[in-house]
Amino acid sequence: MEFAELIKTPRVDGVVLHRPFMPTVEGTLCLTGHHLILSSRQDNTEELWLLHSNIDSIEKRFVGSLGHITVKCKDLRVIQLEITGMEECLNIASSIEALSTLDLVSLMYPFFYRPMFEVIEDGWNSFLPQNAFKDLESMTDEWRLSEVNKDFSLCPSYPPLVAVPKDFDDETLKKVATFRHGGRFPVLSYYHKKNGMVMMRAGQPLTGTNGRRCKEDEKLINATLRPGKRGYIIDTRAINVAQQAKARGGGFELEANYPQWRRIHKAIERYNVLQESLIKLVEACNDQSHSMDRWLSKLEASNWQTNVKEILTTACLAAQCIDREGASVLVHGTEGTDSTLQVTSLAQIILDPGCRTVKGFQSLVEREWLQAGHPFQQRCAQSAFSNSKPRHEAPVFLLFLDCVWQILRQFPCSFEFNESFLVLLFEHAYASQFGTFLGNSAAERARLCLPEKTVSLWSWVNRPQELERLTNPLYEPNSLVIWPSVAPQSLLLWEGVFLRWNRSSKCLDEAYEEMVHIIEYNKELQTKVNSLRRQLAQLETEDPLLHTP
Amino acid sequence: MEFAEHIKTANVEDVVLRQPLQPPSRGTLCITGHHLLFSDREESDSRQVLLLLRNIDAIEKSVENLTGYSGFFSNASHSERMSGSSGTITMKCKDLRVLQLDIPGMEQCLNIAHSIETLSCLDCVSAMYPFFYRPVDLSLPEQWGLSSPEMHYSQMKELYEKWRLSTVNRDYSVCPSYPPAVIVPKSIDDDTLKKAAKFRQGGRFPVLCYYHKKNGMVIMRSSQPLLGANRKRCKEDELLLQAVIEGSDKGYIIDTRSMQQAQQARMTGGGFESKSFYDRWKRFHRQMERGKALQESLIKLVEACGDESNNMDRWLSKLENSKWLSHVQNALSTAGLLVECVERDGHSVLVHGSEGTDCSLLISTLAQLIMDPCCRTMEGFLGLLEREWIQARHPFQQRCAHSAYSHARLQQESPVFLLLLDCVWQLWRQFPLALGFSEALLLRLATEVYASDYGTFLCNSDQERCALEVKERTHCLFRALLRPTERDYYSNPLYERTELAIWPSVHPQSLQLWKGYFLRWTQQVRHLEEAQEEIRNMVIEWGKLARS
Repeated sequence: MEFAELIKTPRVDGVVLHRPFMPTVEGTLCLTGHHLILSSRQDNTEELWLLHSNIDSIEKRFVGSLGHITVKCKDLRVIQLEITGMEECLNIASSIEALSTLDLVSLMYPFFYRPMFEVIEDGWNSFLPQNAFKDLESMTDEWRLSEVNKDFSLCPSYPPLVAVPKDFDDETLKKVATFRHGGRFPVLSYYHKKNGMVMMRAGQPLTGTNGRRCKEDEKLINATLRPGKRGYIIDTRAINVAQQAKARGGGFELEANYPQWRRIHKAIERYNVLQESLIKLVEACNDQSHSMDRWLSKLEASNWQTNVKEILTTACLAAQCIDREGASVLVHGTEGTDSTLQVTSLAQIILDPGCRTVKGFQSLVEREWLQAGHPFQQRCAQSAFSNSKPRHEAPVFLLFLDCVWQILRQFPCSFEFNESFLVLLFEHAYASQFGTFLGNSAAERARLCLPEKTVSLWSWVNRPQELERLTNPLYEPNSLVIWPSVAPQSLLLWEGVFLRWNRSSKCLDEAYEEMVHIIEYNKELQTKVNSLRRQLAQLETEDPLLHTP
Repeated sequence: MEFAEHIKTANVEDVVLRQPLQPPSRGTLCITGHHLLFSDREESDSRQVLLLLRNIDAIEKSVENLTGYSGFFSNASHSERMSGSSGTITMKCKDLRVLQLDIPGMEQCLNIAHSIETLSCLDCVSAMYPFFYRPVDLSLPEQWGLSSPEMHYSQMKELYEKWRLSTVNRDYSVCPSYPPAVIVPKSIDDDTLKKAAKFRQGGRFPVLCYYHKKNGMVIMRSSQPLLGANRKRCKEDELLLQAVIEGSDKGYIIDTRSMQQAQQARMTGGGFESKSFYDRWKRFHRQMERGKALQESLIKLVEACGDESNNMDRWLSKLENSKWLSHVQNALSTAGLLVECVERDGHSVLVHGSEGTDCSLLISTLAQLIMDPCCRTMEGFLGLLEREWIQARHPFQQRCAHSAYSHARLQQESPVFLLLLDCVWQLWRQFPLALGFSEALLLRLATEVYASDYGTFLCNSDQERCALEVKERTHCLFRALLRPTERDYYSNPLYERTELAIWPSVHPQSLQLWKGYFLRWTQQVRHLEEAQEEIRNMVIEWGKLARS
């Protein structure tokens, strides 16, 4: 298919652009296969380059022959275009609509994007499972890397390599896979160096209504327990939801068959409920009425903060089981690709200081989200402004980022990265020139040949000039477990995302710059003091007269 | 009066103290006339907790007889039974901290509780701690306070042409709540002022509180005019206001009550400036909550903050129900209106509500912070507080007698000053570079206003302060805060002066709960404080390096 077919009017002159916190610009609007571009052709005004895939919905209305197009983006920005001429305006609007809802992955921009920067380190090779496994091998020999899924046949949503208990051969794993939803047999997610406890994740067991069991499954997860120790199964569904799943062939681990495990049910919302929560929240944030009561009730009714709290609470519970109780944990919900990953990844941020560095966090996103099979493409197809009926959309990853932001806010010195990094990941998960978040699983990514045909987000991020912008000036490595407060009073609305386009952050940004400046100046002075001290010491040893006043 | 009368047990050993954010510790408890002193028994790093009894808002005691009724039938002696019992005293402080003491011995516990109860709410001002506070490194000041109306006037050269300093109130006879000197239009003589004062509640005739250098416009404040049901008028009051807008086409009056409230006030002798007699003044009504409603809002908010049910919906509805944030929004937007009149529209404004000692001060203070860069330095801000709250008389003693925990019946308590600090915090949050002081100063002031070593917030007016010789016999908080060490601690390391007005956003989405104050005693705020501490230390270190 040719993009040109969809573009009825490629160019309109005299278009007026209004966007938040920037002066109005008049210029020429161009539509290309992937971008909406507005340029005034003057040096002093910034051009607008907007990816079509970033557009969530558009609205058009006419006042006489002057058309107004409101473009609502997935990053929650809202911009207005004024176009003279009804036909032009209609053409532009329908082109944008068509181009922003293309379904075919291979037509997406990342396949056409060529980097304008020098790739220092290819992000596609930065976080290979075999490298991550080397770290694990240095700590324990109880695990092995299995290739049982190398052609994605056993579990289409798993990567080719997964870590499993050493004593389990691939044949047993195949049997276990038939007993877990989507073939997602229990695999290692995190090894807690301090006490050797582990966190595993899986899909729900397929017990069905007549309580099917699978000896291999029981053996597999029991193999991770130390003699005489019990483990915890954290089911991210409420007990009644888990019960209902039986009717559809799913279910949960029965006490009788898993006597060494204690099951805890935690209700984390999923799918449509989350999407609706996001829609309501964004609507509340854009409410223009000046009433405090109305804002607080709308915020409450959106339930977003409740979702943040529930996810964080469950993650803390998992971390507590591992660190405080000294027990191993298995986490799953239904499919094991959404709430399960929220819990396992947040628990690691709490427990493992390594995940709080820039690289460590990238590695975590790679391990626990991309390779673990979170269906990014389905979940992030639409954002809060979309008018189309939600299918598989859900802001699962955004909620995870929100939770990380809450922890970051509570521990401002313990993270190597800053809020901008989290906002960047949110933006790129929804629309990007990079291939990292394309596809729904490792299998799809391999099929699309993403590493060969697209650029990785990490290749771009891991360059000094970008890293500088994303690192936290207050960072001081903290080797401790950090326990966030999950009291509702402690959780804030993430303004950096949800109010980003409603209130100017100019003053806050200036303050941040100033703080960075102070810290840098301080470092400079510190080195100066040190060198002066050294000089003084040297002079004192060279010139004994100095000692006599 | 002797404090000793109220202290039956001055010393108790083996007491366990539980306080927020710290592990419980065991030690000795002492009660003195003004303090509760707890010292840790650990010899290695002995810690002491010194708490002003005045800071205690409410106490709850529960006494438990451990031996219970079994002891009744045994032949254990009375004293043995008493020693087996113990009691717990929960102290809820005005700075919102909650402390607990486990005291062995029922009788001792009851004695301690009784002493705390009595000594924490003594009414006699001259027996309060500021009159006894004599730190070794500080002698009583020669000058109390930062400035005086006379000094303020003499520094404002641009006032000389049209304004004068009147001493009509030198013996507090015209208006008991005004300072002895006030700034009024030059063309108005003292006799006219005396007559105008009779027409305003409490004698608070219109006086100048702010002169906007950019355009020569002013903010005046007063109390409500005493129209009454039969619409009295007062030529002198009209003349006075006329003189304010001499040379300009009109002025604005911001009444901090709703139209309806202002109408009703006429039944009780008050009222508002009617259009027919003040034809060049345009009146706005902005309803601001005051008095009891504000106090109840605070009580509800603090209750919500202490809610431990861990339920997000419940927290958000309780927060909404408390209405505190609505009051913050309301105060900031009314102040915004005032600034708009003066700065953008270029006209003078008179602000009043009923008494002119609460909401009027709140919005005139905020407006000055928004408009005037001089008020945004640390000296400037403290000077502003001194002028608008101490000299212009906010009845601190009545308003801050109790805070959110008290079980006592509400009298005149109202957290107007706390609301001001909250609004200033919102400004600071929205403009982190524009204010010369930090959140720590606001927190300190919020604590000191309820219980203090200093005399600054004692009494209800200048007149009372003179009668009790507060200025001679106590230390001044504002001066203490400006000593070099303290100043370093409270200044904003990011401060960069801007000449522009700082217009706060008053969208509900832009306003936040002041966690640093209301959730101060919970764990997570601690980490934020540490981060701020870090920056502060860096800046102080710089200063040292730069000097050496």
